[in-house]
Amino acid sequence: MNNKPKIGVYVCHCGVNISKTVDIDAVVEFASRMPNVKVVRDYAYMCSDPGQLLIREDIEKEGLNRVVVASCSPRMHESTFRKTLAAAGLNSYYLEMANIREQCSWVHEDKEEATAKAKKIVYAAVAKARLLEPLYEKEVDVEPATLVIGAGIAGIQAALDIANAGFKVYLVEKTPSVGGRMSQLDKTFPTLDCSACILTPKMVDVANHPNVELLAYSQVEDITGYVGNFDVKVRKKARYVDVNKCTGCGVCSEECRLKNRIPSEFNMEMGKRAAIYLPFPQAVPAKYTIDPERCLFLTRGKCGKSPKCVDACSAGAINFEQEDEIAEFKVGTVIVATGFDVFDAARKPEYGYSDYPNVVTGLEFERLVSASGPTGGAVVLGEGEDAVVPKDIAFIKCVGSRDASVGNEYCSRVCCMYTAKLAHLVMEKVPGANVRIYYMDVRAFGKGFEEFYDRVRREGIRYIRGNPSEIFKRGEKLVVKVEDTLTATPLEDEVDMVVLAVGLEPRKDAREIIDILRLSQSGDRFYLEAHPKLAPVDTATDGVFLAGCAQGPKDIPDTVAQAKGAASSALVLLASGKVKIQAQISVVDQSTCRGCGYCVEICPYGAIDLVTVNRMGNLAQAAEVNEALCKGCGACAAACFSGSIQQKSFMDRQILPQIAVLGVM
Amino acid sequence: MSAEYQPNIVAFLCNWCSYAGADLAGTSRTNYPSNLNVIRVMCSGRVNPLFVVNALQQGADGVLVSGCHPGDCHYMEGNFYARRRFGMMKELLEYVGVEPGRFNMSWVSASEGAKWKDVVGEVVDKAKEAGPFKQFRRDKINW
Amino acid sequence: MVDVAKLKEIARETVSRDDVKYLIGWRQGTFGFRAAPHFVNKPEDVDQLIFSPLCSHNLATYLTGVEKLPVPRGQEADSRKVALMVKGCDSRAVVLQLVEQGYGRDSVVVIGCPCQGVVDQKKVEAKYPDMGENITAEWGEKTIIFNLPSGKTEVPREEVLAGKCLTCRYPNPLLADAGAWEEVAVWGSDDYADVQDLEAGNPQERRAFWEDKFASCIRCYACRNVCPMCYCEDCILDRLNPQWITRAVNPTENTAFHLSRAFHLAGRCIECGECERVCPVDIPLMKLNRKLTKEVRENYDYEPGLDPEAKPLQASYRPNDKEDFIL
Repeated sequence: MNNKPKIGVYVCHCGVNISKTVDIDAVVEFASRMPNVKVVRDYAYMCSDPGQLLIREDIEKEGLNRVVVASCSPRMHESTFRKTLAAAGLNSYYLEMANIREQCSWVHEDKEEATAKAKKIVYAAVAKARLLEPLYEKEVDVEPATLVIGAGIAGIQAALDIANAGFKVYLVEKTPSVGGRMSQLDKTFPTLDCSACILTPKMVDVANHPNVELLAYSQVEDITGYVGNFDVKVRKKARYVDVNKCTGCGVCSEECRLKNRIPSEFNMEMGKRAAIYLPFPQAVPAKYTIDPERCLFLTRGKCGKSPKCVDACSAGAINFEQEDEIAEFKVGTVIVATGFDVFDAARKPEYGYSDYPNVVTGLEFERLVSASGPTGGAVVLGEGEDAVVPKDIAFIKCVGSRDASVGNEYCSRVCCMYTAKLAHLVMEKVPGANVRIYYMDVRAFGKGFEEFYDRVRREGIRYIRGNPSEIFKRGEKLVVKVEDTLTATPLEDEVDMVVLAVGLEPRKDAREIIDILRLSQSGDRFYLEAHPKLAPVDTATDGVFLAGCAQGPKDIPDTVAQAKGAASSALVLLASGKVKIQAQISVVDQSTCRGCGYCVEICPYGAIDLVTVNRMGNLAQAAEVNEALCKGCGACAAACFSGSIQQKSFMDRQILPQIAVLGVM
Repeated sequence: MSAEYQPNIVAFLCNWCSYAGADLAGTSRTNYPSNLNVIRVMCSGRVNPLFVVNALQQGADGVLVSGCHPGDCHYMEGNFYARRRFGMMKELLEYVGVEPGRFNMSWVSASEGAKWKDVVGEVVDKAKEAGPFKQFRRDKINW
Repeated sequence: MVDVAKLKEIARETVSRDDVKYLIGWRQGTFGFRAAPHFVNKPEDVDQLIFSPLCSHNLATYLTGVEKLPVPRGQEADSRKVALMVKGCDSRAVVLQLVEQGYGRDSVVVIGCPCQGVVDQKKVEAKYPDMGENITAEWGEKTIIFNLPSGKTEVPREEVLAGKCLTCRYPNPLLADAGAWEEVAVWGSDDYADVQDLEAGNPQERRAFWEDKFASCIRCYACRNVCPMCYCEDCILDRLNPQWITRAVNPTENTAFHLSRAFHLAGRCIECGECERVCPVDIPLMKLNRKLTKEVRENYDYEPGLDPEAKPLQASYRPNDKEDFIL
């Protein structure tokens, strides 16, 4: 095909929006003298049907192979005119827009000036149009499956939604049971629903769902590929218990020599468990796991004459020979729902968390008030005969949140309300308790929050505005040193117990997923969404979505809402079965690439790799673009010293003529 | 038009912030000087520093590169790379005697139509002060 | 200090290895105060190796500059290692070439030669004009000793050493697989006085200074070809589509060439000074390169060629990079 440029230039009046300040006739006359321009037309509204028809007819009858539309911003109508070209059978990337409205007629009042500038803009567009190349939007198939990382409430909800829509879900959970942080909570604010009562049915649902493959006690090791086609590698850690045989009866745990010797993670290390354990009674799957770092047999090779669990298990499920397994599968989309860690209160040494046993964190207190907790729900300090019921309890808010000194400037969003909830539970459980809450601000922003805050205040809980400076011991009592900032009164408040309302932080192992998926972090170190407003569940990597506190602190309803959002975003891809790949992506001339890898380093999407190329028998490194990952920013092209990597539609050889035209005219 | 010297400025604008900001200036019917000629790129990170040298060679009296504010890049990091490249390029140009006002860089977001007007005004004023660029401008330009 | 006898022994052993293709070092030149690159293919060629104040060449440029001829069908490319003698500055070139993956670490054997400074041909020739004979040189205590036909002559090193050596902060190789040496003391310091004196002037003065220099450029591209960091298969400035600069040799194109070249070395120039040494028209190219070296050190706290693990300057950023120049 003879591809000598035959350009059509279409100058739009946009009613009077353009023609009021730009002399259309002059622009048309000027354009008709530009090289390679075959047809020039003007019309009142180029974007209207008749306007588009003009272009279509000319392409068909005059054999135009490039089109310049001089009208509004390409951000407005580029896609419209691309479709026009396609409808006429011309590759839609043979279009160049000349923005003579937003950046010309609307900003220059002098007609002569605006007309001169419009001519320049059109000429620069023609100069580039001559060199445009056809581009093709590729489509790739989407593997109809999703990987959900993390089986807290976010992961469970996302998995259920996708599975219910009929797609396969691989739900990977690092710990032995699904449930996440929510399973550790006693009641939920502001409605005081029992957390376990609303969560456990979902845990069971997700484990039993025919479309969900639950990989508990497993870790994602590697993910490669791109939207629609991710290859996932998961390590299924050895439980040393055959899950097919284990009935979950628990006799092994009763018999274990280390029974009640190992701090229970689920109970924030307040209760004790055995080396073979179920993290909590409602755990799903209800299968026992041997802690390889604690089990006497696994660490020392010897556990009495024979391991007691082996003797006790009538199903013969204990298997010390078990090894980690690697599961490999393909998915089309990934949802990251890895949750959060609570702030380590030891990082605020002035609060004495490391020194005084009766200074506890909110989550620890949550376990204390929980019926499934180490005290069976009784608020007591100490054990056995020494156990006392604390009467004077102080809560301190914003511990590790809104605090630049520990690097957390953000608000954790849940502490105000969980403090109110815990305070309420104290009033319920400890008759005559005297509860005060030290706060900076009360942020009761959610549905029902303000009402709940009012309610707990009416219950006699005192809110004292002040940020305690120190907690120390005086006799049997703890002293909270603080200034009541509303009355400017320094206080030394003697209490029996202090609860630190610790904030939420990114997980300590957050880096693992960042490295695997090339996610970014926002300033608060949580995973970064693609756009804070309009793409809050998306990430910079197509096909990877965020749900829950991995993206930032949020409460359960917000977490569930975001999980449903992430599920629906994943479903858009799964249901359509195909995904379009950007056309204006980067391309490498491997014959001149020197393999320095600057583009590889720079690409924010990990879309470029170095590969070995054969140059007449000599092996060399050269860059290669993964077309499905490239988003077409062009940063690689600007970094390339030899000009070997170029961005389609924004190539050096297309931009330099634009520079020349604008420079000369 | 007055007989005052009118500099010719080439501007590289990123599609998502600065170009959108310039569009917004238009939508808001702002009025600003017509000396600035825009080349749209997808990201300020796409602007090859050699484009600046080339523009000056090919007849521009001034060059502007404008992108998203740090942290707002549509492609996350492009403007950070641009900032580094052009920080160095600006120093280099000034070192060989190119007046400081000729090359400028700005951050203009999609909502900063008013800022765009100010940036154009400032860039044009600076270029006017520097006068016509002759230092290494080509006599004959083939285009 | 380098024990040259021992160095030759190491060279001999290295060249004898089956997995080494050849060794690149220096030998005495054929006239004047010159050394020449020496490609040692066989053990007996080792005898001619020298290491003296005349060894200015940065041989790292041969690692990437070597022409790769087509390999006949059925044969495999010679993948044996190349052994290379490096001074401190040369070693930085090797480190940066490794960072930029110009070749793999296992394809090169680096033989370290701590350096007390190499002579500037122009300075020494001005001092001893018309020296047709072949003159050898050696390092003395803060001096350079020339074996002139009239006898040994000792000259204070400041009088004859290259400018880059007077400000050198890395005389010892930063990377070496072998070497017969003790580290030499760092005696240079760098305040970028050469750059600062030009910065102090106004734009007109700077422009006049460089216009004069660039106007004399004959675009022989020796600066580019000798540079160990300029190793693109196809230089962007040679391209015809698009054509960044034209072939015409005139102040405009020359300036664009030099600006582009300098920019491509921003954060990459390891200050070996080879470009300036080879320039036939005496353009003070290091004065240009060092402007960016200074910027890079001051603003980005970066020096190329020190750390094989460091990301290249132009392929990295810090969120708090300087932006006082942004409107």
